[in-house]
Amino acid sequence: MDIIWIILIIALVVIFGIVLWILSYFNRIIKFENRIDNSWAQIDVQLKRRADLIPNLMETVKGYMKHERETLESVTKARAGIMNAKTPQDSINADNMLTGALKTLFAVAESYPDLKANQNFLNLQDELTHTEDKIAYSRQHYNDSVLAYNNAIEVIPGRWVAGMMGKKEKQMLQIPEASREVPKVAF
Amino acid sequence: MPEKMLVEDHIKKNKRDTLLICMLMIFLLFGLIFAIGYALGAPPIITAPIAIIVALAYIMITYSFSVQSVISAAGARPANPQIQTEKMLIYKVEEMAIAAGLPTPKAYVQDSKDINAFATGRKPEEAIICATTGALQQLNKEELEGVIGHEMSHIRNRDILVMTVTVGVVGAIALIAEIALRMLFFGGGSRGGDKKGGGGIIVVIIAIIFIVLAPIFSRLTYLAISRKREYLADADGAYLTRNPEGLAMALEKIKGDLPDDPKGSKTVAPLYIANPYKRALSDSIWSTHPPLDERIRRLRSM
Repeated sequence: MDIIWIILIIALVVIFGIVLWILSYFNRIIKFENRIDNSWAQIDVQLKRRADLIPNLMETVKGYMKHERETLESVTKARAGIMNAKTPQDSINADNMLTGALKTLFAVAESYPDLKANQNFLNLQDELTHTEDKIAYSRQHYNDSVLAYNNAIEVIPGRWVAGMMGKKEKQMLQIPEASREVPKVAF
Repeated sequence: MPEKMLVEDHIKKNKRDTLLICMLMIFLLFGLIFAIGYALGAPPIITAPIAIIVALAYIMITYSFSVQSVISAAGARPANPQIQTEKMLIYKVEEMAIAAGLPTPKAYVQDSKDINAFATGRKPEEAIICATTGALQQLNKEELEGVIGHEMSHIRNRDILVMTVTVGVVGAIALIAEIALRMLFFGGGSRGGDKKGGGGIIVVIIAIIFIVLAPIFSRLTYLAISRKREYLADADGAYLTRNPEGLAMALEKIKGDLPDDPKGSKTVAPLYIANPYKRALSDSIWSTHPPLDERIRRLRSM
């Protein structure tokens, strides 16, 4: 009689332990998933911030660069791309276009000494470069978060728990080869 | 990417080492408690609670003073975004916080010709990163980023907390050992001898030797933890910037730059990226930081 009780208690403790163990994996997967959402929000904030700076830049540059319509237009177009993007990858692609367009604009600005002496322009240029760096790092953090999540749901027993939760691997943000080089803007 | 895996391996190894050293520290504290028990004839049931209370009190005191005292000891002030170099510091702190996924720490500046930086704050939400004006003037963007990435890793790894707790334990061990030795010589010295025979005396002598050596060993353990955390912050920082060379170049510059007019109390020395008091290039068990050459070598091998 006593032995049955002991076995029963041991079995209960073991089952309780296993349940706790599974729950901890469940929580971990949720936590990692939230982290991915958070880091996406961070990218989004930076993209919007960058897009908001563009009209100011256009206003400042317009008076000086009358003959550079094409350059200015490509910047405006890339900005519209960010505002209209539907998916994360779309936003990133549009941002890469904007980075390229701004690179050209800043290169062209080199031949306008008056513009280069404009404090407002210099501040905007600084700020835009800084936002560019922030976007690059928030993208990196996003991919780090996705990597941690994917590892968590691939390694057993996380894999079984993820299977029960119906969680699938997530995609990292693809960054085109060319944009990996942060544009060098002279100060 | 094989390079990235290497950085992660460095990080894992460092964490394991720190854990081992922390366990050694706890072993020292409890060993001391039992040694006192043998030497004075006081059972662990009495000495253990006393030792734990002293250790906790020590930790609480160092913990509650940390942020403000470190900032005022260094004579640091908030960074001014109107100055180009200080704006760059604010920018880099923001960027590294994003890369680490942490709330942005406050950026501070310490007026000093020396190239240095430190982080403080008990938790990431109230953290501060401070760089010297010398660092802001002499380091380029990439190097500054490496240094800030290193400091951000100290915050992320909660090194300030780890170091505060270890300082607390070291202080407690020193205090307990001191009290025990005084009691041994002025009061209870004969007690241990009365109780036991010839074999007992040897145990008592071993216990006394342990009491004398415990503070020295705990100090050495603390320094070993400090050096391990430095290597860990280097590896983590390199992972944040994805650019170990930036920090390596910054450390090269620090190596060539002799310490000049250090400010602040010596207790904050382990918080700096490089010891502000002396630049030991050789490996010594008494240094708070690993030798710069070895740190540079490890960064370049990532």
